[in-house]
Amino acid sequence: MGVFVFLFLPLVLPLTALPISRLAEQHLHPRAATRLLTGFGLAMAGCSALCLGLLGVLGTAQIPGNPLPDSWSDPGVRDMVPFHVEVGAASIGMLAVVLGAVARTLAGRLRVAARARRAVADLPAGDGPAVLPDDRPYAYALPGGPGRIVVSTGMMAHLAEDERAALLAHEQAHLTHRHHRYLLATRLAACVNPFLRPLHRAVAYSTERWADEEAAGAVGDRRTTARAVARAALVAHHAVLPGLPAFADPAPGPVPRRVAALLGPVPSGRAWPPTDSPAGPAAMLAAAGTAVSALSALNAATALLLVLKAATPL
Amino acid sequence: MPQEREPSDGGFRARRRGQGELEAQVLEVLREAPGPATAGWVQQRLDGGLAYTTVVTILSRLHAKKAVSRTRSGRSYHWQAAADAAGLAALKMRRVLDSEADRDAVLASFVSALLPHDEVLLRALLDSASDGAVQPAGGDPERDGPAHREG
Repeated sequence: MGVFVFLFLPLVLPLTALPISRLAEQHLHPRAATRLLTGFGLAMAGCSALCLGLLGVLGTAQIPGNPLPDSWSDPGVRDMVPFHVEVGAASIGMLAVVLGAVARTLAGRLRVAARARRAVADLPAGDGPAVLPDDRPYAYALPGGPGRIVVSTGMMAHLAEDERAALLAHEQAHLTHRHHRYLLATRLAACVNPFLRPLHRAVAYSTERWADEEAAGAVGDRRTTARAVARAALVAHHAVLPGLPAFADPAPGPVPRRVAALLGPVPSGRAWPPTDSPAGPAAMLAAAGTAVSALSALNAATALLLVLKAATPL
Repeated sequence: MPQEREPSDGGFRARRRGQGELEAQVLEVLREAPGPATAGWVQQRLDGGLAYTTVVTILSRLHAKKAVSRTRSGRSYHWQAAADAAGLAALKMRRVLDSEADRDAVLASFVSALLPHDEVLLRALLDSASDGAVQPAGGDPERDGPAHREG
């Protein structure tokens, strides 16, 4: 059996990042939370993908046409890698699903971004936002190139002057700090390993909070920014979802949490959660999970290479 | 023609998107017209061999969206583009938003959708934010009700 049992570890170790995904928003500056969680997510997704690939290679060692040399089907080698063909086939199936999900996500992202940019392409590309005459309230930051802010008159009309400034500063922060990269990275990580989905959601929330804090700094008033977020959400809610079926979920959603955070104190700028808060051990747990993931993947990859080398007559 | 919403199925959505594209085409033709134009004139300049009634339908829909204006001339209307480049961009943008379910994952939206209880919570928070607006910002230790720590 040997070291190859470790190949399964990186597939489940992303669960160690669940506590910090939950706690980061309360104990870390959103900028630090975004970077920390994205780092964990990318490392764990990389290890997961590597291990899926290795499992597939090992498990299908007996199948003709596998990418390994002929001597691989040597009985001695088979004894060293006692994997069932089913495991290998399942791994290859999962790898195909993962690759499909990644490709679909990337294609969808490119398509939406391109369509949105084409929609506003004819407008003069000044520094200012593209204000579109539409009653439906919306505000978006279009990623790519220099990036562009698109706001509808329906949204602007419902906000006071200083709240508009906060909204534009928020969108500008998304573009300046390239938040869409963090979002895409963790989204792809969640495609690779579904256990990383909560982490992606946490990063999505953190980037919004990050942009909120930048906006509060730019307009110099946290309350104004809080009002802008709350008002915009209420306006958009009534315009788009007039009759959303209500189901009992007492936990407040992302928008009220953002507003409450803006009405609270300024978050401290530390990059790692304090050890005396629950987030400290949670971050340590995730770091340990990442380290074990990396070691397991590395270990198994090295072992495979060694076996391969021994089995290949040169 | 079908203006009211039918239960959404794939084919219906595809048709809607097609209609959105036609709206943009018709508006583009009208914007290039030297003056008020008839539906027949628009029909001739559209490639795709659309039926006259279809063109009139599209023009009427654009009129309902205030993207075109019309003046009665005898028994028919003369149409004129009311929307400028920004109006056309708004129509196109709306089409992207309507057809892409995934849009919020790609385009960073200012606010995400609200959960059922969020509205009440937000109104309370908004009140507290507005009450304190006269106070200087920052470093305010006051806790804002029960909402602050939940989450």
